Amino acid sequence: MSGLEFLLAGTLAASLPLLLAALGEMVVEKTGLLNLGLEGMMAIGAAIAFICVFHTGSHVLGFAAAALISTVIAMLFAILVIGVKANEVAAGLAIGVLGLGLSALFGKSYESRTISGLPKIDIPILSDVPLIGPTLLTQDIVVWLAVLGTMALWWVLNRTKLGLIIAAVGENADAARSIGYPVVLIRMCAVAFGGAMCGLAGAYASTVYTPLWADGMIAGRGWIALALVVFGTWQTGRVAFGALLFGILSLGELTAQAMGVGLPSQVLSSLPYLVTILMLVVISRRRSCPTLPP
Amino acid sequence: MSDTLKRRSFLKGTLAATTALALPMRAQAQDVLKMGVVLPSPIADVGWSHTLMEGVNTVKEAYGDKLEVTVLENIMEGPDADRIANGLVSEGNEVLLLGSFGYQNGGIQIAKRNRDVSIIHASGFMVEPNFAPFTAKYWQGTYLMGMAAASLTKTKKIGCVGAFAIPELITSINAFMLGALSVDPEITMSVVWVNSWFDPASEQEAAKALISQDVDVLFSNAQDTPSVIAVAEEAGVYAYNLNSSMKSYAPSKYLGVVGTDWGPHFKRLVDGHVAGEFPGANYWLGMEDDVVFTADWNPDIPADMIAQIEAKQAEIATGDFVVFKGPLTDQAGAERVADGVAMTDDEIISMDWHVAGVTTPLPS
Repeated sequence: MSGLEFLLAGTLAASLPLLLAALGEMVVEKTGLLNLGLEGMMAIGAAIAFICVFHTGSHVLGFAAAALISTVIAMLFAILVIGVKANEVAAGLAIGVLGLGLSALFGKSYESRTISGLPKIDIPILSDVPLIGPTLLTQDIVVWLAVLGTMALWWVLNRTKLGLIIAAVGENADAARSIGYPVVLIRMCAVAFGGAMCGLAGAYASTVYTPLWADGMIAGRGWIALALVVFGTWQTGRVAFGALLFGILSLGELTAQAMGVGLPSQVLSSLPYLVTILMLVVISRRRSCPTLPP
Repeated sequence: MSDTLKRRSFLKGTLAATTALALPMRAQAQDVLKMGVVLPSPIADVGWSHTLMEGVNTVKEAYGDKLEVTVLENIMEGPDADRIANGLVSEGNEVLLLGSFGYQNGGIQIAKRNRDVSIIHASGFMVEPNFAPFTAKYWQGTYLMGMAAASLTKTKKIGCVGAFAIPELITSINAFMLGALSVDPEITMSVVWVNSWFDPASEQEAAKALISQDVDVLFSNAQDTPSVIAVAEEAGVYAYNLNSSMKSYAPSKYLGVVGTDWGPHFKRLVDGHVAGEFPGANYWLGMEDDVVFTADWNPDIPADMIAQIEAKQAEIATGDFVVFKGPLTDQAGAERVADGVAMTDDEIISMDWHVAGVTTPLPS
């Protein structure tokens, strides 16, 4: 396997936790809220999914449980912010810390245990395409579902009435309320969706991408996902592109090192972050693109 | 010093005597030595904290009821750790084991303020009469792993996933390379630095990246989780790690472990504390001290190679063989250590260059 094949095979999986969490947060931010607790919601999802798969062997159950627990945590945020009008930055950070703490607590007796991941699926014909067939087009089922899910989300946000309502709530909550839309309910649902997506992202990270549990294994990916939402200017396609770019850069950095490319590894390791900063600068220079949530 | 000690023990004695009159139970508790342990990561079945706890358990077994151990795990380095260590002292813990380099500055302060408290500290360099750091000479074991790797590699490419490019890790890698070259001079090694002490996902990707470059023996250098070991087993390449065995994660492809047994060392220090003569010094321990050992050798390694490895191990333990001894050349081909000259401890501690054979550049 060459370096290129390694990149083609691994990028989608490496991007997936970022993609799911970022898309969830994007919907939250589109309704005019900001939930900073991604890291914690991913961590608790990862822990619960791992425990489920460890005991039952069922990834479906693991993903479902992760989505559920992260939704519960997210609802706590919704109650604080929408219900009692608490400061959303403080509330988001607080539930993030809560999620991390709970993940450490639940995961305690599973520290450094491993499980088996999901098999890669051979798709007839597609898998026979030279170069990309056995690499890019041979992925686990979750990757394919995520690709479909991303397209579906784009369609809902851009081509349906629901998408317009979400945009209306975010752009002018008062106007949306006065024409009869249930703003509180829609925001609650968006926060729940964001939580569920973080749970799925965490579940993928701990049961498929790196099928082991270790406290702190999310290792800052929640924060990267948060940055990706801004990077993608709250547009599904661009957020997905950002996640892919981040995935390919982080793998590319490791491949370059393995191949002995003479660049300092610290520079390579920080490359994905540098590109994110660069993109943020580029975006804010272009007046046509929004720099704040719509 | 001895004067203060006497006065202190006298005071203690009086205190114990007075309490003994009033509360016999309390007096008994005074005989129990309290030891506090602060660990940087959660205690798992494997890994660094696990290895330290094994050492603590050896001391516990020897002391039985006479030792009460309080363990605080997963404590982030920094002010929080200092506060926790201070708390342990105020709760009456007389011996502290601080399990990470980053606890050093806070630990030294405690040692200076509380001369009756003895502190055992992992991998630091500062020393006080009551503050004793310790480090393992892992390279003695990784050299042997290099020999084993050379006997198994088909592609003649071996690899390493490293956390940070610091001397402690670089020496292990260099010794691994030298061991491999001692068997087969054509072998080369690639190193990927993850630049993180803890990121299982990146560690696994780094391992996969190396495997995609035809590496077929992997060294998981300073990873506390079986991330690299599990990937290696799945991909069918050999892998080994440091500190505690991860054979259960790679039943067929586990090359072996360069283990550490801190039990005897910890016991020696605690004994010293009890006797009132804690030996505060910097301990750099290896096979000659029964601290570094190898175990769980893969049955695929040819029997004659195992014999060679065992012979070499015996020579290292007796000091007849020295790993870092000239002629040693660096990656650029320049001679760093002249023929027949052994590197000094200081030179090894500050080693910031790769030996020839390592193909990936060292980040400066």
